[in-house]
Amino acid sequence: MPALAEEYVETDVGKVQIFRGGDGPPLVYLHSAAGEAVNPAAETLADSFSVVSPVFPGFGESEGLEQIDDMEDATFHHLDLFDRLGLDAVPIVGLSFGGWMAAELATRYPERVSKLVLVNPVGLYIDGQSVKEIFGRTPAELAEDMFADQSHPMAQMMHMLSEFSGDVGQQIEVPMELVLPIWKSMSATAKLGWDPYLHNPKLRRRLHRVTAPTLVIHGAQDTLAPKVISETYAAEIPEARLVDVDGGAHLVTLEKPDEIAQLVREFVA
Amino acid sequence: MRFFSFHLMPYPDLPADYDGPAWVTCPNEFYDPQVGHDVYNRYLDELIYAEEVGFDGVCVNEHHQNAYGNMPSPNLIASILARQTSRVRIAVVGNALPLYDPPTRVAEEFAMIDVISGGRLIAGMVVGGGPEYYSFSINPADARERFQEAHDLILKAWTEPGPFEFIGKHFRIRYVNPWPRPMQQPHPEIWIPGAGSLETVEFVARNHYAYMGIPYFHLSVFERMFRMFREACEAEGYEADPLQQGWLVPIYVAETDEQARREYEDHLWYFVKRLLPGITIQPPGYTSVRSLGNILKSSGSFMLNLETWEQVVDGQYAIVGSPETVTDMLIDNLGRLGTGNLLGLFQLGTLPHDLTKKNLALFAEQVMPKLRAEFPEGQPVIRPSAAGQVA
Repeated sequence: MPALAEEYVETDVGKVQIFRGGDGPPLVYLHSAAGEAVNPAAETLADSFSVVSPVFPGFGESEGLEQIDDMEDATFHHLDLFDRLGLDAVPIVGLSFGGWMAAELATRYPERVSKLVLVNPVGLYIDGQSVKEIFGRTPAELAEDMFADQSHPMAQMMHMLSEFSGDVGQQIEVPMELVLPIWKSMSATAKLGWDPYLHNPKLRRRLHRVTAPTLVIHGAQDTLAPKVISETYAAEIPEARLVDVDGGAHLVTLEKPDEIAQLVREFVA
Repeated sequence: MRFFSFHLMPYPDLPADYDGPAWVTCPNEFYDPQVGHDVYNRYLDELIYAEEVGFDGVCVNEHHQNAYGNMPSPNLIASILARQTSRVRIAVVGNALPLYDPPTRVAEEFAMIDVISGGRLIAGMVVGGGPEYYSFSINPADARERFQEAHDLILKAWTEPGPFEFIGKHFRIRYVNPWPRPMQQPHPEIWIPGAGSLETVEFVARNHYAYMGIPYFHLSVFERMFRMFREACEAEGYEADPLQQGWLVPIYVAETDEQARREYEDHLWYFVKRLLPGITIQPPGYTSVRSLGNILKSSGSFMLNLETWEQVVDGQYAIVGSPETVTDMLIDNLGRLGTGNLLGLFQLGTLPHDLTKKNLALFAEQVMPKLRAEFPEGQPVIRPSAAGQVA
């Protein structure tokens, strides 16, 4: 599996961390609220593409969140980043929150997106069905929604984190190296997704503007993002297609990387 | 030393078989308006009684959608107290500024209370607890920015002649010109509650406001918190005044130590086990990286984790006993903390009216005079010998 190498790019909001590697035409992966810029699906895709996986400001080591207040700012950040990386019209794969950001870009600047793959996307609020609460819940509870198989290493880590509680009167040693990335990811997600909760009320009526051929992938065991969101993207984006991947919950690019990579290869090729 | 009687106005009647959180999602079908009518009026009587027995002030505060404290608008309660008391300071600790849009509402309502009460308001301003951000859907990632901007607007509204225009990132008002203006000039005394976040401590020190330690921690957490505050004042080039610091703690006084525990313990556990669950919910983006470590360090010693009476006593989570015991404990603790304001919670959980009044009276008659003698106003409260300097 070709590794993705870490690089830093100066952008208008500050220094941004990206992971890049592989051979072939370019392909952008936009991570979810989990911050999985490096993940087995993106790494696998590096056998067919020059994969660029940027870390959104506020996540990981990327700066500039204080200059990003909403999806409009996020979209301009992506435009700026693509310009600096010399990416003109590029295929984008986005998971969940990353899928939402990809859809925002594809509605506003359709000429910058050549193919669009939305994996368990959020961003829409349909028929009174909200994305299940991601804020204020324990890592163990979230793991139940994010993974079909609780033995996945990341699910195991999340269950382990929920075990930490201090003795009364003791100053507890919290594993900051585990807590900090999660804490940063959730803070950055809240900046854009707290209110309205993980959606943009205007996005649905703009979806007809997407010109990129679009594939919507839904993890069959996803209990976090209602399937009606994926169905609506597929229905409103011209000629979009919806496929189910069995055995994957919300973080399906982590759980079913080979299946996702194969779907993307076939669709983007 | 100044003495304040703080009331949370808790809901005392959660169903015995309910063991969920008391915050945000605690079903409001449990709220019985008849019970509410009785306790609101009873709790107001208890605040007014504090003036009768000799307290210097009373405190109320703001919480939403919970059973822990039924004052979504502390300003309503404070305005009743403005009329029904005549001498005590009325501390609203505080208004959660990021929840008010536009925040000139706070400038107006605080000024009303100050004018009606004849200049007795203490204006508390707070970022607001974690649960409020779930209850209001105000973005917690903007909380600090909104707090800062609202604070700047309120202070400007109180101290600079209107009308003027205020154009901020979160609040934009073409004509700022509030009527009434506060009676206390240039503005009422300002208190800021905090739970040890560095940003808040530095903000309070910089502005020469008073820092109120958010309660329910092990005493060692407060020692660290107030030491941090005094250091922040030193960094600003001045020595912290004891009146710039306040410690809030549950207090119960009875005739003997045994009687105090017997009368109090069940009510304390209702508070700890029924009303605290849910209070610690952390909204994302609300805490800076700098403060995260401090908050995580303190979380293990939060009162919610207590299981035994011995732990309550060891950590000084509540000061309970005979007048002599309570006096000794408070002299020792205040000497460690250096705080010139003592904010007592004299009603807690399900503690009934008669015991609350007895508690207030015993404290005022038998504890307060000794503490006033021990800590005369204008003199330092901190006792270097007591303040665990070795550690």
